[in-house]
Amino acid sequence: MATVKVLRHLGVDVAFPEDQTCCGQIGFNGGYRPEAADVARHFIETFEGYQHIVAPSGSCASMIKVYYAELFADDSEMLGRAKAVGAKTYELTDFIVNVLGVTEVGGTSAGLVTYHDACHLLRELGIAKEPRTLIEGVRGVEIQEMEKSDACCGFGGLFSVKFPEISTAMLDDKLQNVADTGASCVVANDCGCLMHMRGAMRRAGSPVRAQHIAELLAEGLD
Amino acid sequence: MPTPVEDPNKAAFLERVRESLGRHSPILATPDHPTLKATLPRHEEKVRTILGKTEARRVANIALLVKNATEAAWQVHQAKTGAAAAGVVSDIVANSGARNVVRTSDDLFKRVDVDGALRKHGAGPVVLASNRTRRKSEIRRLAFGSELGICGVDYAIAETASCVVIPRRGVARLASLAPAKLIVLVDESQVLETLDDFFALMRFGFLTQRARTPNYYNFISGPSRTADIEQTLTIGVHGPGEVHMVIFTG
Amino acid sequence: MPQVKTDQFKSASVKALHDANIQRALGAPFAHFVDGRKSAIEADYTEESWDSMRERAAAIKAQTIERLDYYLDLVDRNVRRNGGHVHFANDSAHANQIVLDIAKQHDVKTVIKSKSMVSEEMGINEVLEQNGIEPVETDLGEYIIQLAKETPFHLIAPAVHKTKEQVSELFEKFLKSAPTADIERLCVIARDKLREQFAKADMGISGANFIVAETGTVVLVTNEGNGRMTTSAPRVHVAISGMEKLLPAIEDVGLFLRLLARSATGQRITSYNSFISGPRAGSDEDGPEEFHLILVDNGRLELLKDEVLREALSCIRCGACLNHCPVYRKVGGHAYGWVYPGPIGAIVSPVLTGLKQAKDLPYASTLCGACRDVCPVGIDLPKLLLHLRHKIVADGAGVWAERLAVRRWHNAMKTRQKLEGSVRLSRLLLKPIARGGYVKRMRAPVVGGWTKGRDFPVPAAKSFARIWADELGGGRS
Repeated sequence: MATVKVLRHLGVDVAFPEDQTCCGQIGFNGGYRPEAADVARHFIETFEGYQHIVAPSGSCASMIKVYYAELFADDSEMLGRAKAVGAKTYELTDFIVNVLGVTEVGGTSAGLVTYHDACHLLRELGIAKEPRTLIEGVRGVEIQEMEKSDACCGFGGLFSVKFPEISTAMLDDKLQNVADTGASCVVANDCGCLMHMRGAMRRAGSPVRAQHIAELLAEGLD
Repeated sequence: MPTPVEDPNKAAFLERVRESLGRHSPILATPDHPTLKATLPRHEEKVRTILGKTEARRVANIALLVKNATEAAWQVHQAKTGAAAAGVVSDIVANSGARNVVRTSDDLFKRVDVDGALRKHGAGPVVLASNRTRRKSEIRRLAFGSELGICGVDYAIAETASCVVIPRRGVARLASLAPAKLIVLVDESQVLETLDDFFALMRFGFLTQRARTPNYYNFISGPSRTADIEQTLTIGVHGPGEVHMVIFTG
Repeated sequence: MPQVKTDQFKSASVKALHDANIQRALGAPFAHFVDGRKSAIEADYTEESWDSMRERAAAIKAQTIERLDYYLDLVDRNVRRNGGHVHFANDSAHANQIVLDIAKQHDVKTVIKSKSMVSEEMGINEVLEQNGIEPVETDLGEYIIQLAKETPFHLIAPAVHKTKEQVSELFEKFLKSAPTADIERLCVIARDKLREQFAKADMGISGANFIVAETGTVVLVTNEGNGRMTTSAPRVHVAISGMEKLLPAIEDVGLFLRLLARSATGQRITSYNSFISGPRAGSDEDGPEEFHLILVDNGRLELLKDEVLREALSCIRCGACLNHCPVYRKVGGHAYGWVYPGPIGAIVSPVLTGLKQAKDLPYASTLCGACRDVCPVGIDLPKLLLHLRHKIVADGAGVWAERLAVRRWHNAMKTRQKLEGSVRLSRLLLKPIARGGYVKRMRAPVVGGWTKGRDFPVPAAKSFARIWADELGGGRS
């Protein structure tokens, strides 16, 4: 909802194709390519008619932009369509900064936040400056960088439940780094990471919030 | 020495490799590899350029060598003449307290009278070279029993502070390896700038004088070291822990 | 052959997580590796020049692998022309036999060894012992784990998990030395003991960091001096290498030395580099009379056959991927169950020892990509891990509970209605056991593991799609 609010505030004509389900990454990363291809096909059919496709998720965006080409490498009919969809898909902050040319969304909030570089967003899509730019553009908010903001939080999709002990051990390190900043909130562009961090912080009774960047950007917008 | 026989398993082995790569016949042409493709005349041109630039940049190369060697834990000394270099060596030996000193039998020792300088303080070094009176089996015993070795080098590469030592008659491998302390003598004219310069020269030697290409050479780029226990650095494990580089003008 | 315990990753990794000593070893000592690499690169290169070096290296390696038969033939002809022997070993057993034959021929009683990961694949030490020959590891880290009878914890620093107290205990037990907590003293003890070995050993076995095809030259990259000792003191030198460690030209060596030293140990160059092309010349003062090079397959053909996995053969064994892998940094090397740990191990071990048995290894990664960022030869490790996951599933070796879960996911993702239905069902199941919108303990196949350490959110009552339709204006625009 925050994503819609922010985009509309910036004058974008937002549509939500209700048929949409999933980008297919879970299956792809699990090694289940045929199933993933099926789900991806549905995604492509649902979205290919639009001018821009915005995803408030680094991992989904990287799946669509980077891995769809691999998924359909042997399917000449789908490959062209997949590439076309990939070319007009953007992660949210990428879209706001690089397509809309906006660095200050216009919202207000308060307090110290810290930013977590989700792995796919950072390493597959190379997006690190844009989220920080937008956070800094929020009046009343200050960023405190954490140690190793680019270290994996341990989510990794299936990994989080297949190897829960390793996953939580990695998470502990991440949350220690978050806590060390003194920030009241950790911001990220990926629901997987956020659910992961929030789940453990809640378990530990931590007062630190985990917030999606869209929600932060939407604060104080009318 | 006759060329060793081809392994009877080689043909089948390579055939399987080929099949795995989806090919059925061997590649015959030289691959399109940038340096492999360079035939002798082209390579000769390259070597000429390298030698020219090495000469032209001698002062800068030496400065780089000194800087990098110091960073790599060499103790670096510079001397203006052969005699001065001998004096430096003698001082190092005296300070080290080493009694059993060995040296190689490089030509440079004719210009740098280390024997003379050391004899002023006591015994001269033992020359680790076999001859009518010294057998090769003694070389190992003498090397392992020594405390300090003095060696020449064939090249010194400034980029990595690497001294290149090519074993041959008069130059035993163990001379620069077995003693706990090592002094290498580097003539300024032996200094090259980069690893690439060195390997280009080696290739030239290989292409033109294959029979005389050494079967073994070493880079010595600092003291022996290990961090295998708790990642704590310890200097001087199996090779010399204290290494001195004396750079002089011959 | 060392036991293959790749199927024990799950239990071994949990054990490692609770091992205080392993956790200590994976902390500060590794920060040293990571920071060292970074400083060494930044001291001499910009990010752009470093990346372009990596690209050049990747291209050279790719070309070498594509023409592996050509270059292997070149190595063979050149080494033999230099007076050395070359052997082609199909597998570990074959390679072991070759070594034994050489040893027998030369009446070898003691063997000194410098680092060779392939020789660990072969389990050569056990084989030598069974045949009345005493093998002594001369690399300090390998020596320590040889005494401890363990497999290496790391590619470059095999004994990094041992405390100095543990090392002292080992030395006291096997070398009868006096106890000490002084690391320098421990090194001296090892040095003196190994020096005895250097002086008397009949045969030296080394690995090979690179093998130059053009000149028939084995390149050894070391710091301690044991590599030089092993290849200079004994009468016979045997170098054992995986068949993929080739470089085409002598002029390629400079680039690879620069990449390897910085990536592995954070150095501009290691203390020693030895270039061995054959036995000693007649006029040499010392050096081995005979030189043998053994090129080993041992399953590498399986990597070669697969166009995607082939890239793994470019690995120069620097260990950077291990050092930067957040999973490895939590569980260490032993959990991976065979010779090669970390991201490269998770690819190579399954292919070389059996995909089914090692099927957890390619999944033991979040695919974060930190390894790919640091690999000096640009191997796309996450891509290879994904490829192996696909293979495991396609071979029918996937975990059936996961397969079932994916099937349900697949089905649910076919239409919006099915998705919403599936979410509603989850909400129905979870709400009764939730408190404040979160579940603390979920017993469910596959996903149940979430609540080991984290709360799980109950899905919202109203999906976004419904909110969109009801409150946000709806429409497809």
